[in-house]
Amino acid sequence: MSTPTSSPATPPAPSVLSTTAAYVGLETRRALRDPGFVISTIGVPVMMYLLFTNLGGQNDPAYRTVAMVGMAAYGAMGAALSLGTGVAEDKSTGWLRQLRITPMTPRRVVTGRALTGTVVVLPAIAAILLAGGLLNGVRMSPAHWAAVAVALWLGSLPFTLLGLGNGYRLSAQTAGVVNVACNLGLAVVGGLWFPVSLFPGWLAGLSAWTPTNRFAELGAALAGGRAPGAAGLAVIAGWAVLFGGYAAVSYRRSARTV
Amino acid sequence: MTKEPAAVFEAVTKTYGSVRAADGVDLTVRRGETLALLGRNGAGKSTAIGMLLGLDVPDGGRISLLGTTPEQAVLAGRVGAMLQEGRAVSRVTVRELVGFVARTYPRPMPVADALALAGLTALADRRVDRLSGGQAQRVRFAVALAGNPELIVLDEPTSALDVEARGEFWEAMHGYARRGNTVLFSTHYLEEADSFADRIVVLDAGRVVADGTPEDLKRAAGGALVSLDLGGAPSAYLSGLPGVTEVEIRGDRARLRTDDSDATVRALAARDAIRGLEVAPLTLNDAFLALTRARAGATPEPEPSR
Repeated sequence: MSTPTSSPATPPAPSVLSTTAAYVGLETRRALRDPGFVISTIGVPVMMYLLFTNLGGQNDPAYRTVAMVGMAAYGAMGAALSLGTGVAEDKSTGWLRQLRITPMTPRRVVTGRALTGTVVVLPAIAAILLAGGLLNGVRMSPAHWAAVAVALWLGSLPFTLLGLGNGYRLSAQTAGVVNVACNLGLAVVGGLWFPVSLFPGWLAGLSAWTPTNRFAELGAALAGGRAPGAAGLAVIAGWAVLFGGYAAVSYRRSARTV
Repeated sequence: MTKEPAAVFEAVTKTYGSVRAADGVDLTVRRGETLALLGRNGAGKSTAIGMLLGLDVPDGGRISLLGTTPEQAVLAGRVGAMLQEGRAVSRVTVRELVGFVARTYPRPMPVADALALAGLTALADRRVDRLSGGQAQRVRFAVALAGNPELIVLDEPTSALDVEARGEFWEAMHGYARRGNTVLFSTHYLEEADSFADRIVVLDAGRVVADGTPEDLKRAAGGALVSLDLGGAPSAYLSGLPGVTEVEIRGDRARLRTDDSDATVRALAARDAIRGLEVAPLTLNDAFLALTRARAGATPEPEPSR
């Protein structure tokens, strides 16, 4: 048993790094223990990928690679967005308020959440890449595999920010609905499910401006051994700035009421 | 050992719309005491606690916590708190949750100690969202004390508990207070304030209406209860007897609140009115009702007991 300490000198606070790591660990475990999260970000994308690439005699290796990148992007986006839904739930249960009376600053909490986003997208990305490599016979050099994985990982950041913005701004139910709508809308319009070549001209034009389309394009370029285009990177960066600003404003607004 | 007070409220005001949730609160919480904030629902207890923890900002006045601002004291890990509205954190075990919170503090108590104090040792590996209401409440208590803070603040800690769980909770809280820590809790249960606090502060309509030990409060509300059978006699004269401040007639029995029971009884004897006489000290419940009733809808008047 520790004795009551009464010395007025406060010992140094635990390092920012170790508490942030502990927080990311806690939130990651909480996310991965949610069966809904695992099914919708790993199970569904893997199933859709295997169906789309194996039904109707679609054995074109190039399509299997492009679809793999698109589905991995879809799974990663779903994981990143649903993290924001979790934030909205934690707001309603009082967990965020409880965190405010720990020595963790609110800023460290929101940073920890964003970092959690970069962790929980990994199983979604890994599951699709494994399905591609092991079940669908996608072949690339190890360097290409690594480049695709890293691009998918980093490219999911804008969606984490969008999810956080929704989570801090909206109520738990609304945030869930809005995040699912964003997920499906961006996936379809961005061409993650069906190739943009099947779209009418106006929709294909719109698609080129979506973060999802450019996200998948980035992965596909790297998978094909090409350098990613500057236009694509610019669109992704633009959305990252926009979603980052949205997350920051939502977070500041809610900090006053949480 | 120089010791600033645990907490100081100076002329604190807070208004939500047209509701004055804090209407000039002055209060000093001393180190090492267990203080109860007692009041009805809506008396301003949660508002006072929210501002004390830096969750809300007062409109006027000043609050200092452990000699510094609420924000600084919280960031330095010197305060632990159990809030009222918390629902269980989902998909996390008791040990993971308490262990995580402990890690955010500079000088936590061992997790096993926090779990033992809150009576959670046997439940350590259960998920928090699968516990009963009383068990979940104890988890929130363990979270509040995991950092081994100098001050622990509990907002209506037992409101969701049955009688047995309430007893277990207070036993755990006592263990923590005995270590020399300061405890501030709010409640609307008089018996809790009476049994577990060294000092009771009664809040009503955002104001401190009484402050002292349970005995002080009973005295402040005005002495004793004298009751007697009327035997069919008229009762109008009773309110004019010396010491009597309030008269209540129930059937044939009169209950007189008096601040001088000796004088009242002598006057009754002089009128040969003593039938089934009983003189009893005021209960805390009577004191509480008297203190808060006096202010209901009243215009501001001097604090009665400070």
